[in-house]
Amino acid sequence: MGITSYDWGLIWDYRSELLHGLLTALEVSVVALVISVVAGLGLAMVRLGKAPFTWIAAIYINVFRGMPALVTVIWIYFGVSLVLGINFTVFQAGVIALSLLYSAFMAEIFRSALQAVPHGHREAGQALGMRDTRIFFSVVAPQAFKIALPNVGSMFIGMIKDTSTFTVIGLLEVVRVVQNVNAQTFQPFVLYTAAAAIYVLVAFAVDLLFRVGEGAFSTPPKGVVSKMLRGRKQRRIEALVAELA
Amino acid sequence: MNTVNPAADPTPGAPVPAEKGVLIGDEERAEAAAAPAPAGRRARRDGAPAAQPGVATTGDTSQPVVRIRGLRKSFGDLEVLHGIDLDVHAGEHVVLFGPSGSGKSTVLRSINLLEEPNSGSVCVDGVEYGPGLPGEKGSGKPAKRGKPIELRRKVGMVFQQFNLFPHLTALENVALPLRSVKGMKADDANRKAAESLRQVGLLQRAAHYPGQLSGGQQQRVAIARALSQDPKVMLFDEPTSALDPELVGEVLRVMHELAEAGMTMVVVTHELGFAREIGDLNVFMDAGVVVETGSSELFDHPTDPRCQDFMRAVR
Repeated sequence: MGITSYDWGLIWDYRSELLHGLLTALEVSVVALVISVVAGLGLAMVRLGKAPFTWIAAIYINVFRGMPALVTVIWIYFGVSLVLGINFTVFQAGVIALSLLYSAFMAEIFRSALQAVPHGHREAGQALGMRDTRIFFSVVAPQAFKIALPNVGSMFIGMIKDTSTFTVIGLLEVVRVVQNVNAQTFQPFVLYTAAAAIYVLVAFAVDLLFRVGEGAFSTPPKGVVSKMLRGRKQRRIEALVAELA
Repeated sequence: MNTVNPAADPTPGAPVPAEKGVLIGDEERAEAAAAPAPAGRRARRDGAPAAQPGVATTGDTSQPVVRIRGLRKSFGDLEVLHGIDLDVHAGEHVVLFGPSGSGKSTVLRSINLLEEPNSGSVCVDGVEYGPGLPGEKGSGKPAKRGKPIELRRKVGMVFQQFNLFPHLTALENVALPLRSVKGMKADDANRKAAESLRQVGLLQRAAHYPGQLSGGQQQRVAIARALSQDPKVMLFDEPTSALDPELVGEVLRVMHELAEAGMTMVVVTHELGFAREIGDLNVFMDAGVVVETGSSELFDHPTDPRCQDFMRAVR
């Protein structure tokens, strides 16, 4: 069995199916990312708040952090249909499963990020007579967001990988596509290697994207994006200084 | 006991020209002060600080900007302030000093209610904000109590750790509260912020982020930020303690200018040389009580042994 018996051309032949699978995986992940960031932020704030709500948030976080994606999506797709009679599409079930799981992780990421902002900054806001909501949105949240961003990126990569388990409910993502093509071509090594390559390349791309995002928030501004975003503001301040000097 | 109140004048109601502040302390000193002209604790607590017999006073009969009576604060079971009485009149510069853990920062932080006192009266600009004194009519709560956020809008504070917002430029640090507290338009806020930065000599650093500024510059931005809110009184909580020695001077210089411009100031500091220059009323605290008060001569001739020990130790 030499390497020649593998038909690597299959990857090119089925490129459109594979890319379609990737697109589906990304769609599910992006929608779930948005939901779990918002829900996770809310959960983090409840978790940092008063009893008994903080306990409820703690229970939620610990339950869904412990659930495997495979089990969760079966539970949502088949279980909810069985018990409540609600029939989700595979896409919906995938989004719901990922959102439930990853909002628990996001909650922990945002909780630690919010706690990492020095308490003195809140006190400074209070001493200046700023309202609590204003302190949160203008002082604490921007700093916490910057701290959380790299971890959110890691979570997003995890979400994309977890979509591979949704093959059990028949979502046409990368692994499902690979299985279908394999059933016709009997080239599992080639096809699963292709799947691995796709996931790794996407992880690289996401990492790059989030690095650019982090750069945008660096102080002082570093890199093209950051300078583009804040160059105008900077120039306005400099103009004001020149005028008053 | 060993406590002495040099500001206590034996002649009731007589003005003491050397002193501009009124400061009265715990029960021990109350006894000492009351000795020449007996006055009950209750009487002192009722307000009207200046003309009461047995009360340390300067003869300044105007309404104080800050008036603290019977301030007590506990952290858990540990009481760290055992009843502090302090008056700060307009234009006065009050210095709180003493060993660490003596409660001076807690007193300062109680003035803008960053620390909520367990009991006592905190009266700023004629409005009561504290929880009130035990034994007052009712349940110890004053009938009318101002909101902390309103109090803080009248009081500026400068912290040991500067506490600038690191994601904003120097100008934005000053302009943000102008917009959110004073409701100014962005353009007006930026202009006023730039003026405040000019006041502390940092107009040219307006576009810099805190991370690009030295500690001394950061603290000056923090002073500008507090000043731009036009406070009635400025509180300084060890403003130079986190600075490298060569950067202390620039911050003290700004504070000196502020003092000369007539700003009402309460300063917690270990810089006793600076305290001697600006302090109208110097307050030595130890173990949660005011031990000794006086004008600059306090630094040369402390009478209380604890104060003498402290002076020897820092010299």
